[in-house]
Amino acid sequence: MLLWPHWLALVVVVPLAGSVVTPAVARGSGRVAGRWAIGVMTVTFAIAITLVLRVAQTGPFSYWFGGWEPPYGIEFRFDEFSAFSAVIAFIGLLAVIFSQRYAEQALSPKRIPYYYCLLMLNLTGMIGFTVTGDLFNTYVFMEILSLSGYALVAVSGEKTAEMAAFKYLVLGAVSSLFVLLSIGMLYALTGSLNMADVSARLTAGVPKLPLIVALAAMTLGYMVKAAVFPLHIWLPDAHAIAPSPVSAVLSGLVVKMGVFGMLRMYQIVYRADVVDLSVLNTVLVWLGAISIVMGAFFAIFQDDIKMMLAYSTISNVGYIVMGLGLASQYSLIGASVHVFNHALIKSTLFLAAGAIIHRTGYRTLTDLRGVGHGMPLTGGAMAIGAISIVGIPPTAGFLCKWYIALGAFQAGRPFFGFALVFGALFIFIYYIRMVNAFYFQEPVHPEVARIGEAPVSMLAPMLILAALCLVMGILGRIPLSFIEPAVTRMLATIGG
Amino acid sequence: MEGEVVNTWLTLVVFVLPFAGGLLAAPLAKVSRATRSVGLCAVCAATLVAAASFVPGVLSGKVYETHILKLTPTIWMYMRVDALGALFGLTVAALWMLALVYSLGYMADEQRLGRYYSFFMLCLAWTMGVAYSGNLLTFLIFYELFSILTYPLVVQEGTPQAMAAGTKYIIYILVGGSLVLLAIVFTFFVAGDQTLSTTPLLDITMGQGQLRAIFWCFIAGFGVKAAIVPLHGWVPDAHPAAPAPFSAVLSGVMVAAGTFGIMRVVFNVFGVALLRELDVTRWLSYLAALTVIFAAILAVNQDNIKRRLAYSTISQMGYVTLGVSLLGEQAAVGAMVHITNHAFMKGALFLVAGLLIKRAGVHNVSEIDGMAKRMPFTCAALAIVTLGMIGTPPLSGFVSKWYLGLGILEAQQPLYLIVLIGGALIAAIYLLPMVYRAYFREPRPLAEGVSLASGADVSREAPVSMLAPLGVAVGISIVLGLLASVEGSPLSLARVAAESFFR
Repeated sequence: MLLWPHWLALVVVVPLAGSVVTPAVARGSGRVAGRWAIGVMTVTFAIAITLVLRVAQTGPFSYWFGGWEPPYGIEFRFDEFSAFSAVIAFIGLLAVIFSQRYAEQALSPKRIPYYYCLLMLNLTGMIGFTVTGDLFNTYVFMEILSLSGYALVAVSGEKTAEMAAFKYLVLGAVSSLFVLLSIGMLYALTGSLNMADVSARLTAGVPKLPLIVALAAMTLGYMVKAAVFPLHIWLPDAHAIAPSPVSAVLSGLVVKMGVFGMLRMYQIVYRADVVDLSVLNTVLVWLGAISIVMGAFFAIFQDDIKMMLAYSTISNVGYIVMGLGLASQYSLIGASVHVFNHALIKSTLFLAAGAIIHRTGYRTLTDLRGVGHGMPLTGGAMAIGAISIVGIPPTAGFLCKWYIALGAFQAGRPFFGFALVFGALFIFIYYIRMVNAFYFQEPVHPEVARIGEAPVSMLAPMLILAALCLVMGILGRIPLSFIEPAVTRMLATIGG
Repeated sequence: MEGEVVNTWLTLVVFVLPFAGGLLAAPLAKVSRATRSVGLCAVCAATLVAAASFVPGVLSGKVYETHILKLTPTIWMYMRVDALGALFGLTVAALWMLALVYSLGYMADEQRLGRYYSFFMLCLAWTMGVAYSGNLLTFLIFYELFSILTYPLVVQEGTPQAMAAGTKYIIYILVGGSLVLLAIVFTFFVAGDQTLSTTPLLDITMGQGQLRAIFWCFIAGFGVKAAIVPLHGWVPDAHPAAPAPFSAVLSGVMVAAGTFGIMRVVFNVFGVALLRELDVTRWLSYLAALTVIFAAILAVNQDNIKRRLAYSTISQMGYVTLGVSLLGEQAAVGAMVHITNHAFMKGALFLVAGLLIKRAGVHNVSEIDGMAKRMPFTCAALAIVTLGMIGTPPLSGFVSKWYLGLGILEAQQPLYLIVLIGGALIAAIYLLPMVYRAYFREPRPLAEGVSLASGADVSREAPVSMLAPLGVAVGISIVLGLLASVEGSPLSLARVAAESFFR
């Protein structure tokens, strides 16, 4: 096993290399590009899984580039949170499989190889973001995933798509600048870019004001990426207009990178324990609560299913941000696990919505009345996704809600437990509208109720995801106990 | 003294059987409709037998339990059958069996049968789960999902009224469910444990304010389902919208699931001693008394038969809540046994209402005139059960009211006797006119535009397949009154349950 020492690097190198050579391998054939992408993502997923198994057995481990020891060399560090890279690879694989037929219909043939190239580049950026142990690397990977994300939104070439992509680009670029500024300031303060090293060097002697400004800038930047209210305005258009497999990736995974960035930042400052984070926490808790309610509120007025799902992402990121802000053991576990679970649930929903749009050509609830009868399996997947995202037990969404609510009590802020539970209720109202339209209302277009199922390449990914929505709920103790050591380690220094 | 604990997989069977039935309902119909009917009845009967098999053991003080799987690193999904659970579970299974057999006839010419039977069986599975839940998280899992599984059955007919009723139903129920979730999270945070045993989860050292907050959160949550006034709004709309056999179980056991939840809260989570110390149940008694009288008065004004029965359910469930809130042993026995007695009586009444709708197109009380000549058996059932509801001895309604009355005296709050008797009197006012009209008024010509079910002949009684379950329900209502003191009756189970809570 020549490669084994470099295994952790491979999880980034394989999709990166695979992505950039796609147009060359495909030589203009969308079909070949699709097959190649499936191959690359399968290998990436396999590598990621072995890494997750290793971290479960031995705890976090590192890879030093060129053998240079950090803080001098670049470090990849794989801890329990990095296990999200396996979810990224998995959903990426399913999105690529789903794209095979979808892209044929939705995109012009000569764009298809570039589409796969961009999609894999985006996934590479995210995997890199989750495994890197170096602040500047964080920025590099964030730009890889953001730039490819802008392009992916615009990939269909329609006018509205370009507009949405532009909006996304402007806000995304500004937020990246904030993050870069913050990284620069942290470097100036500590003289290091390695996360563990920065944390160690943040001692009591570091001037407070610049540090606080740096942290605020970083939070602001990541909040835009995570689409926390009121910085969410780029999200609904971008997610609704992108091709559906891309929406699944953007909504399920890309917004999580903002949350992930905050999580990494917390890891650094918690360990250092030099600034009082209670102001930041309070801001996050409130913004989380407002996001939950506002996301749900806007979603109620949407008729376009993908628009609805996009707003629902804002609500769910609200859960996670609230969990981070509550900063208690339970809420952090709940928030971290919801990063994983929401990725699965939202991908289920977007892929199912994609399949429905692919088959019927309609995308509003009114037009889609009765589609549950025409596409029973897709409708079923959508219903399971809806139940999970609202957090009805025993699905995947429930345990996160349980943990975050428990965390609210643990943090001595029961009001936010209340807000969380009733925010979820609000969310359910618009999912009832969806279920009603799909199953219980008279069809507007009679052919929709007899439309017939989507092809297997679309059905399989979404049914696998729907099954996972249930499995992650019933076997919820596995992710919960998996993530627990990381959270305990993170809180250990602040006596939480 | 916790009784002997027996590990068994039977609790899981009671859940898995109807669950499988629900999944197989559509495929079985592909073979033939008869296959589905036989298959589902077999599943339901097996569930009933399994539920009944717990009774002898529970009566001798045993507790059955099953650890299914670990949901979180600390909490098991855990089933536990004690006397209270066994009583409720048996009631659920028996009433479902009757409603299922009745459905075969009632629903024969309806649309979307696959969906109906699937969700009907799934609801049974989840309701059995509620009855046998061994800890709060397990309870929540079954309770929330069964509320949602009910939704397709409420909107089964697909009419605008049904859709509106469904929306109202689901919003009420979800708000209630959320409060229950919050209360359970709070309890878990405070107590750190979940198990519903006879040792209460909470004690006074946990702070009075917190305990009160938890209590009212629970009551508000379960109160929605139990239709405590002013949280009852969904009941009168959902019942007329749903198909009659489903209205029967909706009224008989689904609303009762809310009161079952309240019992779990009062007896298992808080415990009688703690609640006496907190002095909160007084207010619950007031609410329950208000519910009894208020809903009964509203029932008098309803012309739609099913709506009138729905208000009656609210009123009767008020009795149960009242019995629980008095915190006396006799009152608790009365409350528990009234769930069962009411289930069969109200079930029978809804089955009667269904027959009147299906066979004669009669929806309203004012149209019942002279129906006894056309449908003698149906109207006889109506008459008997009406007497039972009012509480005439020796029918089962009398037994529960007797114990409730004893409990009221035991609690030394004789004013509630007025509520008890007043409720029964008003029940006579809203139920007897139906009997009177059926027997003593001349039949009216059928109103213009009344559509009859295909092939229904107004002069003839319903087919035996629908009369049989009705007959059995009426029979059970009589037998539960006559043989109340026999070992193995619901009363004996309720006694065992109450003894364990009042030791």
